[in-house]
Amino acid sequence: MAKIILLAAGLGAFLVALLLFSKSDPIGAAKVLAQGSFGSESAINGTLRQTMPLLLAGLAVFLSLRAGLFNIGVEGQLVVGALAAAVIALKFPGPVGIVLAVVGSCAAGALWAVPAGIIRAYRNGHEVITTIMLNSVATFLTSYLVESPFKAPGQQEPTTTSLPASSQLPPLLTLGSLTVSTGLVLGIVMTVALFFWLRRSVSGFELQAAGANPRAALFAGVQPKRVIVRAMAASGAIAGFAGCMQVLCTEGRFYSGFSPGYGFDALGVALLAGGNALGVLPASLLFGALAKGGTALQIEGVPKGITTVILGLLIVVAAAFRYRTVKTVA
Amino acid sequence: MIGISKAFGAVQALDSVNLSVEAGTIHAIVGENGAGKTTLMNVLFGAYRPDSGEIRVQGREATFGSAGAASKAGIGMVSQHYGVIPALTCLENLVLGDERGQILDRRALKAKAQEIAGSMGFSFDWDEEASSLSPAGAQKLEILKLLWRDSRIMILDEPTAMLGPSDADSLFASMVSLVERGATVILVTHRLPEVMSYCKRATVMRGGGVVADVAVAETTSRELAQLIVGPNKHIMVDERVPTTSAGDPVLEMSHVTVRSGHEVPRLSDINLIVRAGEVVGVAGVDGNGQRELIEAIAGIEHSVSGSIRFRGADLARSATRDRLDSGISVIPENRHEEGVIESWSVEDNAALGVERVKPLSNGHWIDAKAKTTFAQAAANRFHTRHGGLRLPLASLSGGNQQRLIAGRALALNPKLLVAFQPARGLDLGGTADVYGAIRTQCREGMAALIVSFDLDELLEHCDRIVVLNHGVLAEPASAHSHDRQEIGRLMVAG
Repeated sequence: MAKIILLAAGLGAFLVALLLFSKSDPIGAAKVLAQGSFGSESAINGTLRQTMPLLLAGLAVFLSLRAGLFNIGVEGQLVVGALAAAVIALKFPGPVGIVLAVVGSCAAGALWAVPAGIIRAYRNGHEVITTIMLNSVATFLTSYLVESPFKAPGQQEPTTTSLPASSQLPPLLTLGSLTVSTGLVLGIVMTVALFFWLRRSVSGFELQAAGANPRAALFAGVQPKRVIVRAMAASGAIAGFAGCMQVLCTEGRFYSGFSPGYGFDALGVALLAGGNALGVLPASLLFGALAKGGTALQIEGVPKGITTVILGLLIVVAAAFRYRTVKTVA
Repeated sequence: MIGISKAFGAVQALDSVNLSVEAGTIHAIVGENGAGKTTLMNVLFGAYRPDSGEIRVQGREATFGSAGAASKAGIGMVSQHYGVIPALTCLENLVLGDERGQILDRRALKAKAQEIAGSMGFSFDWDEEASSLSPAGAQKLEILKLLWRDSRIMILDEPTAMLGPSDADSLFASMVSLVERGATVILVTHRLPEVMSYCKRATVMRGGGVVADVAVAETTSRELAQLIVGPNKHIMVDERVPTTSAGDPVLEMSHVTVRSGHEVPRLSDINLIVRAGEVVGVAGVDGNGQRELIEAIAGIEHSVSGSIRFRGADLARSATRDRLDSGISVIPENRHEEGVIESWSVEDNAALGVERVKPLSNGHWIDAKAKTTFAQAAANRFHTRHGGLRLPLASLSGGNQQRLIAGRALALNPKLLVAFQPARGLDLGGTADVYGAIRTQCREGMAALIVSFDLDELLEHCDRIVVLNHGVLAEPASAHSHDRQEIGRLMVAG
């Protein structure tokens, strides 16, 4: 424990040194960061808007981690889901289209993840490699699709037409000028549901068994190969859903370069969350706040990259804490 | 070692222990699980720092801060869990950590390795991956690793736990020759016959302290056993109570052959009936098809031809989960890799494999309270010592993990127990408890098939013993059903 505190202190000092080196005032920077992310209602709105996709994508990564898989493909699955959602919602306006968009985006995300699961389970090809490949395919394929077949008529930019208001999801809660999106509320509900499912359900127990020790799971009557494929499908579906919510609640359309890397930040969110699904909530809020606050920092002349440095350092400390050695007590 | 103490949290693992070992002898350390044997050895080897006390080697103060320092001072240890890395070659394993330079000169290393192995009468294919080694081979490689490092004091922790009788004999022969060349061997063991035949002195530990230090020539194995369990406990040496006359067949294997991709079948044409009420032992040298036998019955091995029936129903189309849920209980060979999930809590490990069935769950949702109650009972059944059900299983010693596994396997009244060394690594009392429970449940209608490399254990606890040799099952004639020589002959017959 003492070593971990020492590590945290050391990394904190490193951070301060970095700021001083870039001729910034560390305390001032911290103030700007806090102001920019939580200082006003509009700042909080921005933070929450950033948090929503990170929360959902974080859940996707978290679920795969519990099954012993490192789904780096959440980025691609999210983008594919987002495009599917936009296309379906444009085709079928209104509430029916929203339902279809949700279903379609989950299916698209799952479809994008399942091949990696099958290759891992039955050919032992590592999912990290295959999902990275599929990310590239997803990025370029969706860029192509919004440049020609799905491109909005009369637009210069590679983008779909904006969704009609009837196809967008309004904020679920508004308190004064504070708004909470439907996607964020659904994300919170899903987090709690995932927490209980992992803790209480037989299938959740077995998924984690297969993730922690596939051979022992086999002797316990679990079929780890099936678990791998199903977990990838579920993880991909959640990632697709994240893309869908981003389209329906925030962006209102799909365009080339849709995700600024939510799927990659989600890896950090899930790692920071540790072994508990509920941990994804604060972790995604932190990432969201840093993303929003980083913009404010930039305006003040502090390099925006400093927020990435903060996140990296946090993950190092979290990992040091999480992978402590277990002492024999009996 | 003088006045060594070591505590883990609230548990006092060692309480001012004194140990003195004469150079050039084999010295036994005996005691029940959790008596502190392994902890003491870890202190000597530098893996743990003692809270107090001092160590002297040949009169000189030598308390080591790390295994590396101990190794430099000529102290080496082979632990219960072999430290051989399967993906490296035998040679790479041998030199790992002491490579004699920054660049591997394989030819020179191999020549030196050959010389050391030759001096012990071992032979290795140095370029072969270590994964191809049998447990006995791995054990021998571990001993060579110590010789490679010029260890003068060797600590062997339960070296014969995984070895067949002939391998164990040859291991002891090599220990004797080491000692003749001036080395000192400290042997941690549960097997009293080993102590009686090969050791000069024995130190008996109980509850973190030394209760006796005796010259082996002046004691008997009965006296030692009594010292180990303590004055107030009886040792079960009663004759086996014969189980009730065997009932209906629970497990019927006919013409079972397992190839799993090999030229020579791993199991060939096995015909075996295990009836309710009987404990059938499977004797044999490691690697003769025991693993495939268990995996075929558990439904993990798929390339099975012939038929396996459980209480009359054919299992051919039945998945592992259905077999377990219908009353087959399995204790796999490899505790760490197959039996438990070490990073999980004691409680979740107790539930592993029974999470689908009542009372733990309704098939979909786990009842948290029932799970805790079940885990508590499974842990208490064979007195598993643990620091709390929520702590990771890795915080338990090997023996205590085994107690939990045995408790789990025998809970919920299975109809058939298929077990690989159910009392592996347990002390006398624990072994007696586990086999006692198996026999009691068999009297109430369970059937048990027990695989072990320890023939004495099988002779002591089984009604009937069959032998696996090169994948072929043989059974001694009933007049010789417990004839050690006859069974030994079947185990190695060409």
